[in-house]
Amino acid sequence: MNAHQSVGIVMIEDDEGHARLIEKNIRRAGILNDIKHFTDGTQALHHLFEADDGPAKGAPALILLDLNLPDMSGTDILQRIKAEGSPLKRTPVVVLTTTDDKIEIQRCYDLGCNVYITKPVNYESFAQAIRQLGLFLSVIQVPAVEEH
Amino acid sequence: MIRKVRNPFVVSEGRFGRLLVTFMALGFLALVAAGIGAGWATGQNESHTRSVNHTYEVELAVSNARRLIEQGEASRRGYLLTGNPEYRDAYHRWSAATPVALGYLQHLTRDNPAQIATLRQLRGEIQALLTQRARTIALIDAGRADTAVALFRTEASVRRLTLIRDAFERMAVTERRLLSERDAAQRTSVRIFYGILALAAVILALVALASLLTVLGYTRDLARSRDSLREFNEHLEETVHERTADLSRANEEIQRFAYIVSHDLRSPLVNVMGFTAELAAATTPLTELVDRAEAEAPHIVSEEARLAVREDLPESIGFIRTSTQKMDRLINAILKLSREGRRVIAPETIDPGAIADTVAGSIRHLLDERGIAFSVRRPIPPVVTDRVALEQILSNLIENATKYLQPGRPGVITVAGEQRRDRVILSVTDNGRGIDPRDHQRIFDLFRRSGQQDQPGEGIGLAHVRALAYRLGGTIDVESEPGRGSTFRLNLPKTYVSQDSAA
Repeated sequence: MNAHQSVGIVMIEDDEGHARLIEKNIRRAGILNDIKHFTDGTQALHHLFEADDGPAKGAPALILLDLNLPDMSGTDILQRIKAEGSPLKRTPVVVLTTTDDKIEIQRCYDLGCNVYITKPVNYESFAQAIRQLGLFLSVIQVPAVEEH
Repeated sequence: MIRKVRNPFVVSEGRFGRLLVTFMALGFLALVAAGIGAGWATGQNESHTRSVNHTYEVELAVSNARRLIEQGEASRRGYLLTGNPEYRDAYHRWSAATPVALGYLQHLTRDNPAQIATLRQLRGEIQALLTQRARTIALIDAGRADTAVALFRTEASVRRLTLIRDAFERMAVTERRLLSERDAAQRTSVRIFYGILALAAVILALVALASLLTVLGYTRDLARSRDSLREFNEHLEETVHERTADLSRANEEIQRFAYIVSHDLRSPLVNVMGFTAELAAATTPLTELVDRAEAEAPHIVSEEARLAVREDLPESIGFIRTSTQKMDRLINAILKLSREGRRVIAPETIDPGAIADTVAGSIRHLLDERGIAFSVRRPIPPVVTDRVALEQILSNLIENATKYLQPGRPGVITVAGEQRRDRVILSVTDNGRGIDPRDHQRIFDLFRRSGQQDQPGEGIGLAHVRALAYRLGGTIDVESEPGRGSTFRLNLPKTYVSQDSAA
């Protein structure tokens, strides 16, 4: 990722298997940043906005977001992150989900998502896509979060 | 459920007809009676007129006879006084005419015994008078005027004349009385005629009134039944509309359900496939390890370990892979079907023949390779429907026809179409291997196939075709005989009408 190795990846994904496969393939792409995994929206939001070591308190982060969560819709989380006045407004969000509904994709971009990726069902393509995402992550710049 | 209900749309026409016929018969009877009355009254009137004329004729004849006798008397007296022969000539004229006049009078009154009796008496008197006169005239002619005058003095001619006058007067009076009697009879008959007319008029008026009331009642019944029919119709339309909306809602729900299910099934499948790949990747270093161990220290490699690494693991992974791949295809098929159901239909005027040609063009290489003769039998009526959906239906049907040929027989595929009222029926006919009658319904179900499984496919095509046909407001069925060929018939509305609950 960027020069400071402190940028953390926050992965919000309810499926343990998916999370493991995503993590494995990101690592295979040579990304060694810290990955924090949450399986539901409530915990994830708490970490993002409340936790002392969370992104809102100054730790630069990149968010991987699944839309199908047990307790809330991923778009609700996206809305919170990108809302006017949110400390995480500029934090990059990669939506990584199985939904390929056109309207849903449009809605995510309208809400401010930075990248939208549909998980391919075929594993080879899936692994390939995640590795490419890893390569992508290794070059993008993440803004520092402003202090409040 | 069949419920016996009183039909509210039938007005008792039998009763109505019988009533009207009765009224009309009554009316005609009244008219006939009036006609007969009029005829009778006219007859009465004619006979009365005849009687009146007769009376006048009799009166005329009476006065004529009287005049002749008076004039005869006057001429005789003139001749007696003057001896002038002109009086004598006049006398002879009057005397000659008198019997004729009397004869005519007798002819006129021959049907009246009273008049005849009077006339007979009259004739006696007149005969005596005439005899007397003839003697007077003869005496004067002989130059014995004095004798004639002396005789005249003694004769009772004045009294006889008075008698004759009275008799004539009686006859006239009798005729007058007859006339007044006939007048009274005439008045009575006229009254009776007017009575019959009035009665007929009253009956006619009553019949007309009753008919009018019956017709009005019938019309009211008709109007009521028409109203209830219309109400029923409107209600029916409403019911159909409601049912259609319900169906559409149910259909939409199923589509949504299919979409969600297929979607949620994909997530675990990603894991199964992903970790299977991880497993496969893990077998590579394990195999290498076993190979090296076998080469360097064969005694540590057990037979079981070698079999597990070299055979069991790759075999298991292979089965998991093919199964998950199949499952993936099935889920994708459901997803595709549900997506098709959600797609917005864009109706436009389409020539199905042109679409069939396009489809054949896109698989031209297949047709040529298998030596299949493809033709479109024109004319095919145009349809207003969704182009993409129709294209997919025809493409599926034509591709199926190319796939299931009868071995050893060159394939022939024909696309045809005809219009039946507001529907268009498109057919795709082949001379392929045919479909067992038991499978005619089954082949349209998802994942179901028929006959020998020698062609790739998941059993999705015809399910897709049926879903699309339903979506276009149509139906699809098949007619086929194993070994002879199949005909798929797509029955579409001539013009697509939206069935969505939103519409």
